[in-house]
Amino acid sequence: MTAVVAAIGRSGARRLSVLGGLARFALGAFRAAGRLTRAGRWVTLRVLINQIRFTALQASGLVTFLAAILSFLVISQTIRQLGRVGATDLIGTVIVVAVIRELGPLLTALIVVSRSGTAIAAEMATNRVMGEVTALEAMGIDPYIYLVLPRMLGAVVSVAALMILFDAVALSSGFLAARISPNGMHFPRYTAIVLATLSAKDVWLTLAKGLVFGAAVAIFPSYHGLAVKAGPTEIPQAVTRGVVATIVAIFVSSAIFVVIAA
Amino acid sequence: MSPLAVRRPRATWLIQAMSFGSESAPPLVFREVDLRERPDHPEKRFQLTVGAGTVVVAIGDEDSGVGDLGAWALGLRRPPAGRVEVFGAPIGALPYYDLLLFRRRIGYHPVGDGLLQNLSLRDNVALPLRFASDHRQAEVDGRVNQLMDDFRLRSMASLRPAQANEEDRRRAALARAVALDPDLVVLEAPFDGLTSRAAQDLLDRVSRREDGTRRAVFATVQDLVPSVRKTVQRVIKVADGAAVEEAP
Repeated sequence: MTAVVAAIGRSGARRLSVLGGLARFALGAFRAAGRLTRAGRWVTLRVLINQIRFTALQASGLVTFLAAILSFLVISQTIRQLGRVGATDLIGTVIVVAVIRELGPLLTALIVVSRSGTAIAAEMATNRVMGEVTALEAMGIDPYIYLVLPRMLGAVVSVAALMILFDAVALSSGFLAARISPNGMHFPRYTAIVLATLSAKDVWLTLAKGLVFGAAVAIFPSYHGLAVKAGPTEIPQAVTRGVVATIVAIFVSSAIFVVIAA
Repeated sequence: MSPLAVRRPRATWLIQAMSFGSESAPPLVFREVDLRERPDHPEKRFQLTVGAGTVVVAIGDEDSGVGDLGAWALGLRRPPAGRVEVFGAPIGALPYYDLLLFRRRIGYHPVGDGLLQNLSLRDNVALPLRFASDHRQAEVDGRVNQLMDDFRLRSMASLRPAQANEEDRRRAALARAVALDPDLVVLEAPFDGLTSRAAQDLLDRVSRREDGTRRAVFATVQDLVPSVRKTVQRVIKVADGAAVEEAP
């Protein structure tokens, strides 16, 4: 019995220690922004723009496609059911609450994790294995500033921008589904229904989710990538750990947002 | 005169780095460090002082522990016993961010070359100037151009490390090590794979400061070609964990 309790305790302590390490890592990344040098700012800006190009611009096609399909499916299925009971006006609530508020941010973050989270974790792990992180520290360069900060800022900006893109495409695609439905909803009515449901809370929720999910997309893969010690064989494991941890963090924070916004 | 030398007073980050240690203290001192993790043999501890403006080379086999000296000198790791002082400061005992700041006074060439693979040779040389000093972009560019010329890297500046040959990679890594014109340079296996002429040329360039004076250089190697010995003031053979002075 004691052994079981001890094993549970050890496992819990290990997880808490990882959480503590992650919190320190995230704090270090945020604090690094204040120590950026004059010339370093320009380089960081260049890396940041590159990161936004890879993370946001190159993913915009996929986000547009998935947003259009998801919104079209949800609205075309829902509007038929609501039409039977004469409640098509509730379509605004469905698109705002289900698509814009919950599914959009989640799906966008998952797309970015699968594309950029894996790349960040693999790059960081390779930097560590090749001795590049030690070389940076030996030159007096803070690895947070050079490696983590531009990726974190890039991910935050990219996820927020992609969420806005997702919302715009989902609203347009939702209208298309509502228009070709048997009830044939017109644009002014669709707009009025959606605007009646949308509130300022949805705007700040989208921005807050962009910030939190974006930071998670960069911090978790960076942390697990830089934690590699043994050698190249550890890189795929670090990528897996980083991506899984990010997905879990995104779902948990999404649930927390629901509680906060309720 | 180099752009770095002209505008040095504005490089406050480097001035901060100078606040650690003492100007009168020797650049590098190993005090009774244990190279072979045998604390029961205190008489076999390693003692060495690298004086200002001198080039000192420590030679030893792979298992002699000589390969640890560079990392200890930078405070990247701590010796199991004894201590390492850089300009009088116990480098291993400094907090992480103080250590980062202090290391800007020290140039470092790690085993291999430590170049960042996703950057060109030029960007690798510019790295410490961009992120470890607060020089303006124009000053950084001027200093990098000067280093690219000094180390004969101008024509291959845009190559990535994987596209360059071993000698050019070594030149870039050494140019990066002296980019901030440090008082002390620590080199790990800097001559591996180089011809004796190239090795002598590079050691000569690394040991010269911007103002023409000599800087302290500490190198760890497994073998030393005779032509390089001419540039070296002291050769230390590491034998059974202790330092034995050899004729250069």
